[in-house]
Amino acid sequence: MEPIVIAKNLTKSYTKGLRALDNVSLKVNRGKVLVVMGPSGSGKSTLIRTFNGLEAFDNGELNILGIKIDSTHDERKIQKIRRRVGMVFQQFNLFPHLSILENITLAPIHVQKRRQIEAEEYGMYLLSQMGIDSHAKKYPSQLSGGEQQRVAIARALALKPELLLFDEPTSALDPERVNEVLDAMRRLAEQGMTMVVVTHEISFAKDVSDQVLFMDSGKVIETSPPNIFFSNARHERSRKFLNQLDKH
Amino acid sequence: MFKIDISSTIFFLKNLKKTLFSNLFNTIITLLIILFISVAISNTFAWLLFKANWKVVISNLPLYAFGSFPPNEQWRPATWMISLLLLSIFTLCGPEWKWLRKNLLIVWVGTIPLGLYLLYGGLGLSPIMSRHWGGLTLTILLTVCSSLLSLPFGIVLALCRQSSLPLIQKLSSIYIDVMRAIPLIAVLFFGQLLIPLFLPVGIEIDRVWRAIFAFTLFVSAYIAEDIRGGLQSIPNTQIEAANSLGLNQYQIIQFILIPQALRIALPALTNQSIGLFQNTSLMAILGLVELLGVGRSILANPEFIGQYIEVYVWLACVYWMVCTIMAVLARHLEQRMTINQANF
Repeated sequence: MEPIVIAKNLTKSYTKGLRALDNVSLKVNRGKVLVVMGPSGSGKSTLIRTFNGLEAFDNGELNILGIKIDSTHDERKIQKIRRRVGMVFQQFNLFPHLSILENITLAPIHVQKRRQIEAEEYGMYLLSQMGIDSHAKKYPSQLSGGEQQRVAIARALALKPELLLFDEPTSALDPERVNEVLDAMRRLAEQGMTMVVVTHEISFAKDVSDQVLFMDSGKVIETSPPNIFFSNARHERSRKFLNQLDKH
Repeated sequence: MFKIDISSTIFFLKNLKKTLFSNLFNTIITLLIILFISVAISNTFAWLLFKANWKVVISNLPLYAFGSFPPNEQWRPATWMISLLLLSIFTLCGPEWKWLRKNLLIVWVGTIPLGLYLLYGGLGLSPIMSRHWGGLTLTILLTVCSSLLSLPFGIVLALCRQSSLPLIQKLSSIYIDVMRAIPLIAVLFFGQLLIPLFLPVGIEIDRVWRAIFAFTLFVSAYIAEDIRGGLQSIPNTQIEAANSLGLNQYQIIQFILIPQALRIALPALTNQSIGLFQNTSLMAILGLVELLGVGRSILANPEFIGQYIEVYVWLACVYWMVCTIMAVLARHLEQRMTINQANF
């Protein structure tokens, strides 16, 4: 079992006394799906944003794909990590001035220096995987939220990443658009993609994840396989959170 | 066949009667205003058609267009200006072929070396000194060269002002603040009178280029501020997305920030270039014989003495026409840029 993500005692505080990450340790092996859950403000977004260097941390150690980073936030190492790790955001964050296909081919052409034709071919293949190849020439604002998020996934996949990070990928979508994105993510998991997913979608976590990590106020409360977490969570705090989710 | 909707016409007239002639006082006011407007219009037309002596304009048309450019070489600036006009018309009404639309910008930038070649001569054309350039040709040359040079300079200034390095950031904000605190005419004086004093003996920069240089220094400060506004309105999440794709800082600036900032700043940039076009007339005070300068020198000719109104009305028309063309082109560009990006 090859570990892709190893975090040791990550700690980060934005202001003194208020800890966004409090001694967080975790491990994700290749081909596994980790779902991170927790109330808002619990530090789950901060956690996965440290994995590709969008957030620095104050203490601890991180090993992503064998590249070690610490609190010094070494730009060159982070750049190396970013070429092998894809990220999907809550608000899609597509580039509005580029067409769908250009959004996808930008990084392969300029970061990986691939030829344009080759990058476009692979981009079209990814779009057809996501079921949106007919929109390749359009611009992001012409697409629905669900379609935009699938473009964002294709954009993250274009660099052929070994790890995909999802930061609440369905929270900004209309309820009836959520499933088209979750289905795409399910297919990726089936293909053996290593993923870390911050989400509130219980059904997705139940079906797809190998581990569920529950956080509150910067601390890891528990890490359990989904069948245990959802039926018989070990901690009182987790059970309370799940009850709250069920009521919605 | 005219088709007049009678009921709506009657409604319009009734409404007119109700609003303009409702009582004695309103009726008097309305009649007075109509009288005033008709007197003004008829006087203006009477002056334009009968009293004004348009000989001062008509017999000097080549002078307005080309200044003192040698008459048998005037086809050169004429070719340049006509090609600019044709290119404008083509841009607005030409066919929608994709490869053509993509390369149109290159053609537009290419008109500048073409114009300089036609004016300077050389390579088969007889060389002509820049002191013979003048009229509308010179006005347009000052405008296009200054705006093309100040755009990249302004972009660099805007980026420096946003820089995280304190020294660079401070220097560029000092430059921008100083330039905005000085009136344009002072910068132009600096360009014309002081630059030659600073240069070692024997090196001389052409007066036209000194003017272009001074305009560039001034306008780029304003352009920098317009572009900074565009940069600041790009959400930080765009940079995060680009970062997480592994793009480096320069690639983010080139592919993500600059294109979006330019699009947002486009209306403000149009304003700057129209302002620049009009401000080139200040060079008439400093001795360049551009469009306004030609007007002034014609008025100094004893043959046309005192015919101020004809000359200035004519000059106003020319400035108005060129500004209108610029504004229409800019609106066209804006529409093309936002055509697919309703929510942008």
